Amino acid sequence: MYRYDEFDQRFVDERTAQFRAQVARRLKGELTEAEFKPLRLMNGLYLQLHAYMLRVAIPYGTLNGRQMRKLAEIAERWDRGYGHFTTRQNIQFNWPKLNDVPDILDALAEVEMHAIQTSGNCIRNVTSDPFAGAAPDEIEDPRITAELLRQWSSLHPEFTFLGRKFKIAVTGSETDRAAIKIHDIGLQIVQRDGETGYRVLVGGGLGRSPFVAQELRAFLPKADLLPYLEAALRVYNLHGRRDNKYKARIKILVHELGIAEYRAQVEAEFDRMDGDAVAVPTEEVARIAAYFAPPDLADRMGDADEAARMTAASSDFAAWLEQNTASHRTPGYRGVTISLKPIGGAPGDATAEQMRAMADIAERFSQDEMRVTHEQNVVLPHVAEGDLFRVWRALASAGLDAANKGLVTDIIACPGLDYCALATARSIPVAQDIARRFADPERQRAIGPLQIKISGCINACGHHHVGHIGILGLDKAGVESYQITLGGDATETAEIGARTGPGFAYEQVPGVIETILDTYLDLRLAGETFLGAYRRVGMEPFKEALYAAA
Amino acid sequence: MPKAFKPQILTANDLIDGDTVFWAQSGWTRSVSEARVAQSPEEATVLEAAGQLEEADNRVVGSYLVAVGLETGAPYPLLRREQIRAERAPTFAYMAPESAELTERPARAA
Repeated sequence: MYRYDEFDQRFVDERTAQFRAQVARRLKGELTEAEFKPLRLMNGLYLQLHAYMLRVAIPYGTLNGRQMRKLAEIAERWDRGYGHFTTRQNIQFNWPKLNDVPDILDALAEVEMHAIQTSGNCIRNVTSDPFAGAAPDEIEDPRITAELLRQWSSLHPEFTFLGRKFKIAVTGSETDRAAIKIHDIGLQIVQRDGETGYRVLVGGGLGRSPFVAQELRAFLPKADLLPYLEAALRVYNLHGRRDNKYKARIKILVHELGIAEYRAQVEAEFDRMDGDAVAVPTEEVARIAAYFAPPDLADRMGDADEAARMTAASSDFAAWLEQNTASHRTPGYRGVTISLKPIGGAPGDATAEQMRAMADIAERFSQDEMRVTHEQNVVLPHVAEGDLFRVWRALASAGLDAANKGLVTDIIACPGLDYCALATARSIPVAQDIARRFADPERQRAIGPLQIKISGCINACGHHHVGHIGILGLDKAGVESYQITLGGDATETAEIGARTGPGFAYEQVPGVIETILDTYLDLRLAGETFLGAYRRVGMEPFKEALYAAA
Repeated sequence: MPKAFKPQILTANDLIDGDTVFWAQSGWTRSVSEARVAQSPEEATVLEAAGQLEEADNRVVGSYLVAVGLETGAPYPLLRREQIRAERAPTFAYMAPESAELTERPARAA
């Protein structure tokens, strides 16, 4: 994985020192809150309902054991012993004190981490496929591109004060595990006539006005990446609706101009600019790529059948193996998803002890690498099949062995009204109630692949629009009310879900989900997933089941 | 017809630890039941002014008024959001060790 060079470290150290001075001035009263707020936000520090919240960047979700241990130390020393992994592949600490934050940032800098550009109207943490470098269907490791973009976008003078925040995701595979179609810009590494380049998508996003991204360029040569993105952002920035934040995202611009006109303007800007002055030298790309060279995995084919043997000894292990591991490009290895969705837990939360356990396991069994996923889990990308049983045992002893990846209890949920100052309703307790309702592992497996995504407000941090079942919590005259959407999809076949109808009370939601799933089980064809069944039969049977009695 | 006035209290977040705080008789408290209640628009204006002074004094951030009910004899917010703030914790059993319980800070002298 990428390691800071001298410039990177100095940049982060200087920025941390600057923020320490800014906090000192704020505490002395030399800065008002109005003056301080944009400074703290640029360093990832929010003020939420109960406390400050520090959002720490985890570039494209990748971190090593040393970094995870530091997050655990921060959780214990300056927070309340846990952290929350987010749909942006970051981590949030919910209870830091303002006067401790400079020390936290110093601690992060010790392990090449920071909280810069995790807030504000800038290019945010670039996200990617959690199975990067491990997936068998990958053309190229997308993290090389993501790291290049991270360096290009960090404190980019032209794009530090955009009209609104800007999110970029990169995938190296046809199968989209990075939700690129719901990002401002999505990049898919593709090949054409033997040349590797990018398919560029633009204008995706959720929130108040959800859109699936449209194709801006079917094929962009790799060398043109930065000039082309610079042109795309420049056009957006010049048009930027700074008068109305609800119309300020690029998705609205693309929608209002139309993709053809936006494309024409981007191409014109691209032709006009001095691309060579912006393009990154090939030797720099090679320098970055070297950090992402495939790990030197030992030949473990000799004990590859051990996992299969152990399934006979433990049905729990067999279920976990089936549900939480994925194919790897190297024979004898698998990718492992550590579910942060135990029944009744807060989705994405991990205690300091669990973080240390994950660090230990990654160091011993996964080339010292972990990936935070946008589904709020953690991936061990390179685990030998012969080690899987030991990994499972180690995870189980830390309470990290939930065998529910991709099932009804693997729910995405934003912090919601239990933490977030913007939220209009709770989301975590809703997820917990649903998970308890469907706690039976056999029932979960009988239902099959399902993504429930919950947001506690229209900003859609919980990605509800693209949940197979989406749940949006709203405030109706001071009372929580939940809208349900069906048929959303965050993958390469992305779609925005459709509303079932009027909303439901907080207490009704688990029963509503049960009604939807019972309806699905009644009408599905053999082997048909929930999403497949919905696409075949449409909304009506579900609507009928939900509202007929009313 | 003008809306009937609802009793109100003043809330904010502590500058240093971000804690939810309420304006009591002569300073900030972390207990909503101790909050000073404005029973009229004029009293609410006084509370608002106190909040602005406290922000200028660099003790709190983002002060605002919250409508409360008084049915139990002590003020309690009417809106769910403010009820959750008043409890100073999520509504579910989150992963907070008991040792992390915040200690009360003394209210500012009048």
